[in-house]
This record gives sequence, C-alpha cells and structure tokens, in this order.
Amino acid sequence: MAASVTGLLKPWTPRVLLVRWSRYNPYYLEPEPRKEVYHIPETELTPEQKEERELKSVRPIKAATNSVTSSVFNDPVLSKFVNMMMKDGDKIIAKGIITQTLENMKRKQVEKYHKAPEVKKAEIECNPYVIFHQALENCKPVIGLASIQKGGKFYQVPIPLTDNRRRFLAMKWMITECRDNKHRRTLMYEKLSQELLAAFSKEGNVVKRKHELHKMAESNRAYAHYRWW
Amino acid sequence: MALHRLSLRLRQTVAQVRPLHGSGCGQQQEAVGMETRPETVSIFRTQENDPACQSEQHLGQYYTVPASHFHTVFPHGLPPRYQQQVKTFNEGCVMVRQPALELISHLKRADYINPTLRYLLYGVKGSGKTMSLCHAVHYCSTQGWLVLHIPDAHLWVKNCKELLPSSYHASRFDQPIQASNWLRNFRTTNEHFLSKVAPPPQIDKSHTTYHLSRVKSSSDVVGAVLKELRLQAGGTEGGFRLAVAVDGVNGLWGRTTLKKEDKSPVAPEELTLVHNLRKMINNDWCGGAVIATLSQTGSLYAPSSAYLPQELLGEEGFDSMDPFIPVPVSLYSEKEFESCYLYYLDRHWLQHPHSQTEEGKKELIFLSNRNPSVLERLCAFL
Repeated sequence: MAASVTGLLKPWTPRVLLVRWSRYNPYYLEPEPRKEVYHIPETELTPEQKEERELKSVRPIKAATNSVTSSVFNDPVLSKFVNMMMKDGDKIIAKGIITQTLENMKRKQVEKYHKAPEVKKAEIECNPYVIFHQALENCKPVIGLASIQKGGKFYQVPIPLTDNRRRFLAMKWMITECRDNKHRRTLMYEKLSQELLAAFSKEGNVVKRKHELHKMAESNRAYAHYRWW
Repeated sequence: MALHRLSLRLRQTVAQVRPLHGSGCGQQQEAVGMETRPETVSIFRTQENDPACQSEQHLGQYYTVPASHFHTVFPHGLPPRYQQQVKTFNEGCVMVRQPALELISHLKRADYINPTLRYLLYGVKGSGKTMSLCHAVHYCSTQGWLVLHIPDAHLWVKNCKELLPSSYHASRFDQPIQASNWLRNFRTTNEHFLSKVAPPPQIDKSHTTYHLSRVKSSSDVVGAVLKELRLQAGGTEGGFRLAVAVDGVNGLWGRTTLKKEDKSPVAPEELTLVHNLRKMINNDWCGGAVIATLSQTGSLYAPSSAYLPQELLGEEGFDSMDPFIPVPVSLYSEKEFESCYLYYLDRHWLQHPHSQTEEGKKELIFLSNRNPSVLERLCAFL
C-alpha cells in the first residue's frame, strides 16, 4: 500500500521508452537531420527559429529512423524508390540494386560521352540522378481513373491525381515492369537501368503505359461529371 | 674591411639558402618542374609513360599505359573493376605510388648473378597491392624481361570442375582448364620471346601450341615451360631476365576446397600447377625476380581482418618465402587522394553536384577512410 502511494508521487516516465516506433505521443517533436540549421549563429536566428529552439530544449524528440541522414548525398525521392523496391524488409539488397543501377547508367553514359565527337558531347547527360528524376517525371501520369458506382454500374471516371499519387504510380509501374518483363537471366539492375534510360528519352514500356492511361481518361471524358469532389 | 666581411656573410647566407629548395633535387630538375607546373592538366597527370623514368617527383600522378601495349602486357592480371574503368574511360591510367616506385628501384639496382630476390607486397584490403604489382609488371615488360604473371593463385586451389589424376606422377592432380587458360594468356604476353629464346631439347614452340589444343596435358606443359625458363634465365648465352609475378601467393600454402573422389580433401602440394609454381618461387635459380602479393579477398579459411605476411602465409608459407623483401602498401595519402579525386572529376566520373563541393569531398574522405577500392566503389554511384 505504501509502496504504490510513493510510486504515484514520482514524475511520470513510461516503463518502456519509445525508440524507433512510428506511433508516438503527439508531445514528441520531429528530429532535424540537416546540418546547415545547426550552423546558423545565434544572432541570425529569426524569432520563430528562436522559439522553436527553446521548445526543443524542453520537449522530448522522436528517434530518427535509419533512412534519415545528414549526408549531402541524401535524396528523399530515391529513398522512397528504395523502400518501394524492398522485399521482406531487406533494405541492404534494395539499396545495393539501386546503387548498381546508378553506376550502370553512369557507366553507359560516360562511355558514350568519351567516344562521342566534341559536338555531341554537350547533349549526353551523364548524371545518373538527373536521369533518374527526369525519367520518373516522364512516367508520371497527369490524370487518373477512379471506379465510381452510379445506377448499379461501375464507370471509370477521370479524376485529378495528387502529387504523391502520381509519384507512387510512376515508381510502381517502373518496378513492376522491371520485375515482370525481363528475361530470367537478366539482373534487376541491368533491366532497371535500361528502362530508366528509355524513360529519360520518352521511350519504353512505362511511358507507353502512362500514354495508355491518358487515352483511357480521354475516351471516358463523358463520365467526368460523375465526380463529385 | 667591414664591407668585405658583410659580403662574405651574405655569400654564406646565399649558399645556405640554395640547398633548402627541394630535398636534394638538382637545379635542372627544378627548372623542368617549374616549366610543367603552369599547365593545369598536369597536376594529377604526368606525361612520363615509361615506368623506368618515373621518380619521386611523379608520386601521386597518373601515367597512361599506351593502348597498343595494353592487351599484350595485361591479358589477365588486372583487377576486374579496374578493367571496367579502363573500358568506361577509354584509357588505362595507373597512379605512380610509393610501393611500386620502391619495387622498381630495387629491380633496377639488384644484382642478377646472385640467387633471385623475392619481393612481397602486403597491406589491408583494397590498398592497391595488385595495381602496384601490375605497375612493376609493366616496367618489366618495357625493359624486355620475360614476364610470368599468375593473376590469382587462389583460382588454382578452388572451384575446379575437372580434376584429373596426373599421368606424370601418380599421386598428383592436373587441372586442364586452368592450365590451358594460363598458357593461352602466357602466349599472348610473350609471343615475341618464344621465337627469340632457343628452343629447348624437350619442348619447343610448336610443341607448346600443339599442347594448347590438347587441353588434357596442359598442366605438364606448364611444368615443363616453367622448368625450362628457370634454367635458361640465368644462362649467359640466352641473356633474358625472368620476372615471376604471383598475385595471392598465400593460396599456394594452406588448404584447398577441392576434394578427391573419396571426399577426402586435396592438399595444395598434390596439385601439379601449385607444385611447379612453388619450385619457381624458391630462390635456387638466378637471373630474375619474384614479385608476389598477399591477398585476403580470394583466400580460403583466412579471417577477413588478416593482412600481415605471418597471418596469411602461415608457418609453411612463411618458411618457404623467407628470406623476402617486404613492401608495405598503405592507403592513399592526402596528395594521392587529391590526385584521385581530380582524376575522377576530369573523366566526368563524379557526377553528383554535391560531390564536387568541399562538403562532399570531406564526406568522401570520411566514408572511404582514403581506402582506394572503397573510394572507387563510392564514386561509382555518386
């Protein structure tokens, strides 16, 4: 009896400390991984930033996940792609495939660059990151279809897509295309680099799939008024 | 009188100031150095493509192996990632580093009447042992030596599909595929030599080519070739020098992963190729040099943190190699790292915009710890 009463008087700490969980008490603040935020000297802080710093000194902060780095080479879009490619939580293999893909793309382009005449050199893009982002942009659909029920039947109605949904669809199509339509002996990074280079120059199966979706949306234009949002 | 003493003093200070410029460089070399420095390309590159003429002033700089030489001197023996790099950059550039220069200076000054000296390159994984070996091999072939380059001794003690009992010796085993591959590459490297060297009584050039097509007896051919070259290298009328370059020499002693038909393990000395190569590495012949590299990467039953000769060679190997000249290969120094970084920038290999900034460079140094192979793998996807 006495023991439980003294237990209640202590300030509350959870018995199990939350580390690396994704569900936190809203009391916890997000961590700040970027280095340049901490390099701003005291004098150059705006009032909001000063307030934020004072708040951070009293509130607990969530544990940073493994995928967040303060490295200058950190790319959130690439991290999302790695997570989508990951199977059974094996991020090492997925990250390895992506790095091999980037290397392969760079090798092909740099080889082409060194063998090309001076005039053509400026047109060849050697940066694998630029190629990756541009290819993904070229694969993103502008308009999507939703299945809406009206009068007992389901109609494919063209709807606008959010940015996140567009990015998700582009990545999903890219990964499924590379997994399904490749020869048994071709390795994933090889096929992925071929597809990304094709998408960069607006060719290839993924861009074709995007065009087909656009055509379907165009043909179902009559049902657009079934959308109520 | 005072003026005279003053001028003497001034003369003394002038005489003292002169030797301070450069560590013992002659004035001529200084003048040459001053001429090349204004060229912005030559900070990490040198025009001196002959390994014999390279010296300390070229340390950290890249020299180009002429494209015509490339396939004859290095049909095998280069690390696979380096071969990919050569294909991508459309040129083969090797960095002039301290261990290779030391090795070449020993080779220049050694006395070839005495029994062969054995040089052993050792260092942590990825520090550049194989590339230093290839640099020395390039030197030997430009000097007209006959080069026996075994790209990886570990390839002979593991993953052998066909193991035939030897016809020559009852308890030994032959490896026809490995032996014929090696003979083919040996012929590519030393084709001009085989015509010059006087054909020995037992085996001659036509015999070698005949046996190249007959894969079954290629191991015995290898043994015979090694024996003949060993006898002829020291001879006064032949006049050629023999360089034996073995990569991963710690594979010759230790264990193999091969098994006989009754599932008992095969010891290395029961393999004909290994047996003959061990005789070659012995210092009972003269007129050449043995340059060897330790390698943990392909080794069997060795812990991954082992890199010293005692750990990798084992007792038996160390006793056979003793006495040898150890040549330690270290990670990149600051100057070498700079040079490598500038080379990758020049070849358009570092494409990420952040990797071309100071921040990115500091991060590369931190992540790779200036280890050459780790840096290469990092820069590959950046």
